[in-house]
Amino acid sequence: MPENFGDDVFEVAQRIVAHSRYYAGRMGSFFFTRLRDEKKILGVRCDKCNRVLWPPRSTCGRCFSELSEENLVEIGPEGTLEAFTLVTYCEPIHPRQAPFVYGIIRLDRADTGIVHFIGGLDFEKAKIGMRVRPVFAETRRGNILDIDHFEPL
Amino acid sequence: MPSEERGRELISIPMTVEVPYRFAAGKYMTKFLMELRDNGKFYGIRCPVCKRVQMPPRIVCAVCHVQNTEWIELSHEGTLVGFTIMYLPLTDPTTGKPHEPPFSYGSVRLDGSDSVIDHMLNIEPDIDKIRVGMRMKAVLRPREQRVGDLSDIVYFDPISQ
Repeated sequence: MPENFGDDVFEVAQRIVAHSRYYAGRMGSFFFTRLRDEKKILGVRCDKCNRVLWPPRSTCGRCFSELSEENLVEIGPEGTLEAFTLVTYCEPIHPRQAPFVYGIIRLDRADTGIVHFIGGLDFEKAKIGMRVRPVFAETRRGNILDIDHFEPL
Repeated sequence: MPSEERGRELISIPMTVEVPYRFAAGKYMTKFLMELRDNGKFYGIRCPVCKRVQMPPRIVCAVCHVQNTEWIELSHEGTLVGFTIMYLPLTDPTTGKPHEPPFSYGSVRLDGSDSVIDHMLNIEPDIDKIRVGMRMKAVLRPREQRVGDLSDIVYFDPISQ
């Protein structure tokens, strides 16, 4: 056979599709239902560590204390932008079309950050330390996009 | 979708991750796929040392660590060396769509090859109708519908004897 491979060395298109289901659990479900029904954001307080964690969970990751419904506290809705990045390219796994800004927001009274979209501003005006507030989605379905994005105060 | 447990709503969220990607076939796999697409032929490659014929072709023989150079045209016919009946959907990597179960799936050693190719079998998914050692023949898409990936093989048909 000829050894001439020519310019025809080519690529093969394939795709991976994975279906799954995320179970929010007992504490996570409190968070999502309160968000959907009342536009309230819940965290959970660990009294031993004196920390408020987001998202709510049933065990403190640091001291392993059991956390329950009584430990739930409302956090935010305003918060501080702790870090951000401007995404300028589209990938199929991104939930939105680029360009957009992903940020880590530490809500008031919380000790951990929440990753979400930052919107309602010129992207070059995004700044660490900026105060932001949530913009809730009009149709809320009990998932994290019930907050549409965070915008500057 | 919400479900109720002891009067309390529990949240679960369906998620689908879909990742299209492209892989560079490399020059040997490219030749294999081009011959399949353009001429409807299967090509394997023979190791100069151990003489085994690999299909799909690899540049280096994994046993002898020497470069394979001798291309061998293989038959469309072969022997079933193993099979299973699939009761779960298998995602077709060329489309990302599940192949509806149940169906027969097996490994066929084409005549002249020392390796096997795993593919759909055009046999009713009934364990009494499939046996190791059956003679099989590859069924390809018509020339104008072939695209240059393994979906150009539709399935393997049993050869009635």
